[in-house]
Amino acid sequence: MLMRRAGSGAVPPAQPRWRIRPAAWAMTARCITAFLGNYAFAATAASLTARLLPIARVEATVWAMILSFLLYAIVGLWCFAEASLARVAAIVWGGALLMGAAVWLIGVRP
Amino acid sequence: MIRALRQSMAWIHGWLGLVAGWLLFAMFATGTASYFRPEITRWMQPEIAANRTAPADAAAAAVRHLQRVGADDVQWFIALPDERTAVTRVFEQPKPAAEGAPRPRRPRAEELVLDPATGDPVAARDTRGGEHFYRFHFQLQLPHPWGRWLAGVCAMFMLGAIISGVVTHKRIFADFFTLRWNKGQRSWLDAHNVSAVLALPYHAVITYTGLVTLVVMYMPWPIVANYPQPARFAQEAYGLAADVEPTGRPAPLVAIAPLVRDAERRLGGAAGRLVVSHPNDAAATVTVTRGNGASVAARGVSATYSGTTGRLLSASAPPGAAITTANVLLGLHMAQFAGPALRWTLFVLGLSGVAMVGTGLLLWTAARRRPGAAPFFGLRLVERLNIAIIAGLPLGMAAFLLANRLLPAGMPGRADAEVAAMFWTWGAAALLQCARPPRLAWRDLFALGALAFAAIPIVDALATPRLAAGDPLFLAFDSAMAAMAVALAFASRRAARIPAAPVRRSARKVAHA
Repeated sequence: MLMRRAGSGAVPPAQPRWRIRPAAWAMTARCITAFLGNYAFAATAASLTARLLPIARVEATVWAMILSFLLYAIVGLWCFAEASLARVAAIVWGGALLMGAAVWLIGVRP
Repeated sequence: MIRALRQSMAWIHGWLGLVAGWLLFAMFATGTASYFRPEITRWMQPEIAANRTAPADAAAAAVRHLQRVGADDVQWFIALPDERTAVTRVFEQPKPAAEGAPRPRRPRAEELVLDPATGDPVAARDTRGGEHFYRFHFQLQLPHPWGRWLAGVCAMFMLGAIISGVVTHKRIFADFFTLRWNKGQRSWLDAHNVSAVLALPYHAVITYTGLVTLVVMYMPWPIVANYPQPARFAQEAYGLAADVEPTGRPAPLVAIAPLVRDAERRLGGAAGRLVVSHPNDAAATVTVTRGNGASVAARGVSATYSGTTGRLLSASAPPGAAITTANVLLGLHMAQFAGPALRWTLFVLGLSGVAMVGTGLLLWTAARRRPGAAPFFGLRLVERLNIAIIAGLPLGMAAFLLANRLLPAGMPGRADAEVAAMFWTWGAAALLQCARPPRLAWRDLFALGALAFAAIPIVDALATPRLAAGDPLFLAFDSAMAAMAVALAFASRRAARIPAAPVRRSARKVAHA
């Protein structure tokens, strides 16, 4: 259902045989986003949380680390539940970029 | 909306399970065996009798030996024996060679295995013991760090498969009571659902806690964000005392046994580990850590003493909520707190995990087989891999245990030879089964596995020096092997039968009804 088969209705125009279907590209992009982009998202979200939580730094660090797996699992599944690939990519990669920039700007906890 | 969500979750559940399924099967099987890691080690070293020495006396005996062989070491790590572990294990961290001097070729500290009572090195057959299954279940016999990362990816896929499986599964309560035998694909689906739903809390906990055991490796970035020197994190998180520099002035080491007894009183449990830093230096310290049997939380509390005066220098402060949570999660995974009854319960739950992954893999092929049609390439590949892993791994594990009894006790490189026996047997079985039609390959590999497991108690009775005679551990271990043989013989008989007529509903619908 996610891999919509191209050309189920009208016959598609003749294409070179080696051409990979756009649906396959979309699926590959979705998988890379869910696997790697999602790791960047979870890592930056955990880092930002650890940095900003107003509790002892060891406690903030450990909470962020052990909860990051849950975030990764849920966001990873959402990458496949959400129909719009553009939205998935924007939120995951964009979110990672924004949160990573925030961590970098705030700097290491003194 | 809900329907679409459920469909996408069913789709991702199938693929996550397939991609990680074979490795997860092996991780579950060897991990479940690792609940009995010390017991497997003891069975594999039958020359060593059960331990009857108190931790404090074992510590004193080990230090006596270390004073003879490594008095100028930087550090001694001493893992003390208990009622499950029969030996004292010691790691020495030798003094680094002086600048410019040729470095002795000692890439890492050697492990010494000592007799708890005398402190002398133990004379027993060389083996990895239960440590082999334990290491394999999260390192997968791959070079560091790739095995651990691959295991982590599989565990994360498992977590995703659990969550998406629950979303997929709309009749989660009714299926608790549903198991339709001999209905082909329908039965595999029922078996997958029953084994998954019955033990769902266990699967979820064991997967999440498994990830947490290596969290510092998988998700180190919060440490980087919070600590200019990441090493500080380990000190704060584990309550370690800061490293002290040696003074260079020699000073005799205080008697160890009274320190250990004092620490056991303070920490409220038997001592499990001992670290002596800069022994025989004026700055020597002795850190005693409580064993993991005393509480659910792994990483016990510790107390540090001066090594020259025996004065208490520091005791680890009670950890905060996050550290306690992490330690409890770790402890739940390792289950070192569990007594025999709970340990066996966890073992059975672990087997239910093996069954869940195995039936899930079988379901993938059952749902895609069309009666009368030649199976497509992917289906044949998945089926062969299923046979290789599900029926081949038990055979390999049995070969590892058999090699322990059949290889000569004094053979050089014997620990590695045992491990090689497991993988060569497994690999050969995985390749040779391709010469048989699938149904006969299933039957034959399961039958071979049953024979191999049945041989273990027999070979044990014939080839074991009965120094440990009357030890109930050997009886229990051999009985468990016989039970494995019976289970595999049953599997072989079932596999030999003609499969039931395929159900008539469209296969894809049934796959995740």
